[in-house]
Amino acid sequence: MIEIEDFSITFGSGKNQIRAVRNFKLSVAEGESYGLVGESGSGKSTVLRAMVGINSHWDGTIRVAGEALTHKRSVESRKHMQMVFQDPYGSLHPRRTLDDTLSEPLVIHGLENREERILKILKEVGLGPEFRFRYPHQLSGGQRQRVAIARALILEPRVILLDEPTSALDVSVQAEILNLLSALRKAHGLTYIMVSHDLAVVGHLCSRIAVMNRGEIVEEITEDQMRSGEVTHAYTKQLWTASQGYDRAALETFQEFA
Amino acid sequence: MTMNKMKLTGFETSSPGDAPLISVRDLHVRFATPKGQVHAVRGVGFDLGKERLGIVGESGSGKSQTGRALLRLTAGNGSIEASRMMFDGKDLMQASAKTMRSIRGSRISMIMQDPKYSLNPVLTVGKQIAESCRRHENVSRAEARRRALAMLETVRIREPEKVYSLYPHQVSGGMGQRIMIAMMLITNPQVMIADEPTSALDVTVQMQVLSLLDDMVRERGMGLVLISHDLNLVSSFCDRVLVMYGGRIMESLDAKNLDQAQHPYTRGLLNCLPRLDGKHDDLPVLRRDPAWLTEGDEVREGGAT
Repeated sequence: MIEIEDFSITFGSGKNQIRAVRNFKLSVAEGESYGLVGESGSGKSTVLRAMVGINSHWDGTIRVAGEALTHKRSVESRKHMQMVFQDPYGSLHPRRTLDDTLSEPLVIHGLENREERILKILKEVGLGPEFRFRYPHQLSGGQRQRVAIARALILEPRVILLDEPTSALDVSVQAEILNLLSALRKAHGLTYIMVSHDLAVVGHLCSRIAVMNRGEIVEEITEDQMRSGEVTHAYTKQLWTASQGYDRAALETFQEFA
Repeated sequence: MTMNKMKLTGFETSSPGDAPLISVRDLHVRFATPKGQVHAVRGVGFDLGKERLGIVGESGSGKSQTGRALLRLTAGNGSIEASRMMFDGKDLMQASAKTMRSIRGSRISMIMQDPKYSLNPVLTVGKQIAESCRRHENVSRAEARRRALAMLETVRIREPEKVYSLYPHQVSGGMGQRIMIAMMLITNPQVMIADEPTSALDVTVQMQVLSLLDDMVRERGMGLVLISHDLNLVSSFCDRVLVMYGGRIMESLDAKNLDQAQHPYTRGLLNCLPRLDGKHDDLPVLRRDPAWLTEGDEVREGGAT
């Protein structure tokens, strides 16, 4: 479904040049759920932003369903890949009702039956029709994130890119959103690429996981390896150990990976 | 449910021999808002010894307001009420604004969540650390600078001289949080209140910051209140955990016994965490029981003196 090869992203030039992503490659099958984990600055979100077309300064090839993406994206090519952002408090327009927010992608892509589509999608993400004319400030964080998911899903895309979709939410709400995401994937046969710093969340939703550090993939692991902790690369091992909770003895063995 | 008063309010300390550093009983924090009164903290009580006490809860549970009330940092529209709020023999409820200023930052310090917003953007970090020292103690500029540099070294910053002259926007999140800790520790406080000190940080950096706080508790005999939403973190780091919900303490338990928690809220929170060793099935969703918001009232009323 998605193939990325020889992919790199560079910001700035001369001595201020930052190579945010290097030697990146990725292959995700249709209906698969793929995870990208890493610490801040590892380039994981940058990859997603390039794929969805927010950042057009990338080199290499991205193929979605066999078709190579161009740097200047056509409206139609954007329809099949939608993104859910990290912070539902920042990603919804505060002065637009949910109806406005959800109609906008439909207007852009010229889709008909707007009312029907909006009511259907609200129901699918677990919000009733009574929410349709509310503003974001009238909703809780979990409800807002449901709206963000609805906005991505309303175009019936085949790929959804999730950028830390639960990190701004309480754990009880996180569980609800993760359940919603896995139910939607089953129902629509969606392909997910999820970025997170939380190994447990990625391990829960994804079957294959790439671990990134300083713009490069250091290791690709399976969900079973994630559960057992049988990883080969020292960086992955360290990240896994740190995710187990506070451990003074383990901390002594930590090192910097440049 | 057989939950006695002791268990509900968490009065027991880990080291019963010592007098507690902080002792709070029946703390209430209320806010007057245009939409009516918000009762954020409802009758919280605990004792803090020379230990690591964790307060966990979801957003809106009143955990941060509990921490802020101790330093009287509650917002202007809030009112604090408590039958007892003692720190080292002083009654904080009766303390004047001047006394509070001398305690705040010097004997009880607080680390805020996000170093980006809590550091002054137009002063170098070194100056800010030195200022904290000069504000509370009568020391010369040069002495304050020397101590600030020593403190930066204590929080494991490799080139203290270089970092001293950096501005907050030039440092990373992890380093910013270490700078905050240095600023708060330079006055050698007896109690540190850390409000989500690591939730903006990467896991490995988080470990390093926690180990610093751990050293301070072990080596200086400091009391630490760690406020967090992260149950795993608190259970692995703290000695004792208070679980808050709706402004009340649901349960108080030893951190190592967290997996044996009795209260349905604590159990629900633990269950809905995705686990590294878990399966892909749906996560159990927390069901909230309105009775949690009233239970214990009759116990407290019955046991009132």
